[in-house]
Order: sequence, then C-alpha cells, then structure tokens
Amino acid sequence: MTSPIQHCKDCVDLLGEYIEGTLAPERSKELEDHLSTCPPCITFLRTYRATRRLCRSALATEMPTELMSSLTSFLGKHVPGFPCSKSDTTTVVIETAADIGPKKA
Amino acid sequence: MADTPQMQQQQVQPPEEPRADGQPGDRELVERAQRGDGAAFAQLVERHQRQLYRLALRMTGSEADAQEVLQEAFLNAYQKLPLFRGEAQFSSWLYRIAANSALMRLRRKRRAPDTLSDQPLELSGPRFSAEGYLEPTSSSDWSQRADDRMMSGELGEAINKAVAELPDDYRTVFLLKDVDGLSNEDIADALNLTVPAVKSRLHRARLALREKLGEFFDAPAK
Repeated sequence: MTSPIQHCKDCVDLLGEYIEGTLAPERSKELEDHLSTCPPCITFLRTYRATRRLCRSALATEMPTELMSSLTSFLGKHVPGFPCSKSDTTTVVIETAADIGPKKA
Repeated sequence: MADTPQMQQQQVQPPEEPRADGQPGDRELVERAQRGDGAAFAQLVERHQRQLYRLALRMTGSEADAQEVLQEAFLNAYQKLPLFRGEAQFSSWLYRIAANSALMRLRRKRRAPDTLSDQPLELSGPRFSAEGYLEPTSSSDWSQRADDRMMSGELGEAINKAVAELPDDYRTVFLLKDVDGLSNEDIADALNLTVPAVKSRLHRARLALREKLGEFFDAPAK
C-alpha cells in the first residue's frame, strides 16, 4: 500500500512517472490534489518538464549519412546478399513489397 | 514427452502487429534473414541503425567508437541470428548486443567499470524543509524564461556541462530516454538494469539537471 502524499517531497518523488503518464490514476489524482494547493510544486513541475524539453533540444543528434554509408559498405563485405548501395536497397524494398502479395504458382 | 506450458508459450507466438508503413515486421524479416536472406537483414539494419547509433554514441561518447560498435554489433547480430528464438523483441536483443560491444570497448580503454550500475552517486537535487516542504531556492520559476534563452550559446554550454557532470550510468539512461526516446524496457535490457532502476536513475538525473539549469537561469546574464 502506498503512503498518502503529505508534503512536497512526496509529490516530487512521483513527478517522473506523472509526466510520462505511467502513474496509477488514483495516485495521479492525489498528486493533482496536492498541486492544486501548492504553488511551489506547480513551479517545480514546470521546471522539471522544461529541463527535459531544453535538454532534448540541445542534445538531439542524428546518425551522419557518411556513417550509414560506411556501415552499409562494411556489412556488404561480411554478410552474403547484403545490398551495398542505396539503389540496391531500393530494389530490396520493392521486392519485399512484391513478396507479401499473392504468390505466383 | 509432452510440452510444458512454458514450452508451448515459447512455440506459439501471437501474430505480429502490422506496421503503419506497410513494411514487413521485424519478426518476418528476422525469419527471412535466418533463412539466408541478406536483403531482409539489410532492412533490419536500415530500420534500427539510428537508434543503435544513439545508444553507442551515448555509451562511448565518441563518434569513432560508435561507428565501430555499430559495425561489430550488426555483424555479431547477423552471426548470432540462428540463435535468436524470438522470446524477446528483436530490437531489445539488438540493443543488448550493441551495449555489450560498447562496454567491451570501454573496458579495453579502461574507462568503464564492469557494469553501468556500480558507480557511487552524489547528485544534487531539490532542498526540502525538515517537514518535507520545498525550500524557496528550489522553487524559482525559470521555465517561462527558458525559450527566450534557448537560442543562446550560453544555455547550450550550460546544458552540455551539466549533462557531462552526471555519473556515466545516470547520463546514459537520461540521454537514451529523454533525448533519444527509447523505452524504459529497452534501456533496461540494453544496460542490464531493472526497469525500476532505470526509472530511479532517470528521475534523479532530471532532478540534478533541473538544479543546474535553475542555477544557470538565476545567475545574472553575462
């Protein structure tokens, strides 16, 4: 059995699951009851959410296209039948789409 | 000998959910790759390489190392494909292989402990009164000012510095979840942690970063 939310500390402990939507509904309700009477916790929630948003904006990264090419080339040398170029991959996708259609007799 | 219920569960799997893009699901591609279809394996690589790259980059902290981890992980996965029985999701199995490869690489460079879970932790967090109420210093609202300064290089530097100061395992969990969008379950599989341990590290990392950002916003602008 979970203990009731009495203080800000109890509230802060639950914020991670709350913002991800994984907190049990009755626990979320208790948390929201606390938030409705506690401006410091509302501020805390705002800044907790902002932390995630700002870090994502600052640190998001994409795989460089050169690295994709070198990985394809590497696997093409080591995996039999692995298509080595973009055009090969396109062909593969088309063939795959055909494969899932009706089989020829 | 009759199959046990557990064996039957392993043999009979529910049908694979159709993908929104109409492409074959991982399970179908894995089965074809297991029968020697290199093109099916190429589709699996195309589908998972970006997430695997982020995992490798976050764990090693180096693009060059991430590249080698990726090559090693996909080759290893191809060689072990006959052993993959489908009990776990293919993506989780792949993350685990890549994470092991990254850990081995870090160990060879003597930069890592045996696991990502045995590091001591001293993280900053909010301050509470003896009764459990937030101290005023922990409740300044800088969230409304954040977007105005988002474009400033200063904020970017502050974020990079704060993240770099987190202990390795906390930083890796935070980046994989909040920046790269992996699920708690995939992170737990990849890093050999329990899901509650992932959630705990994630929350404590966010609290520590929130404190650092609060200090940044409360300091006079340069």
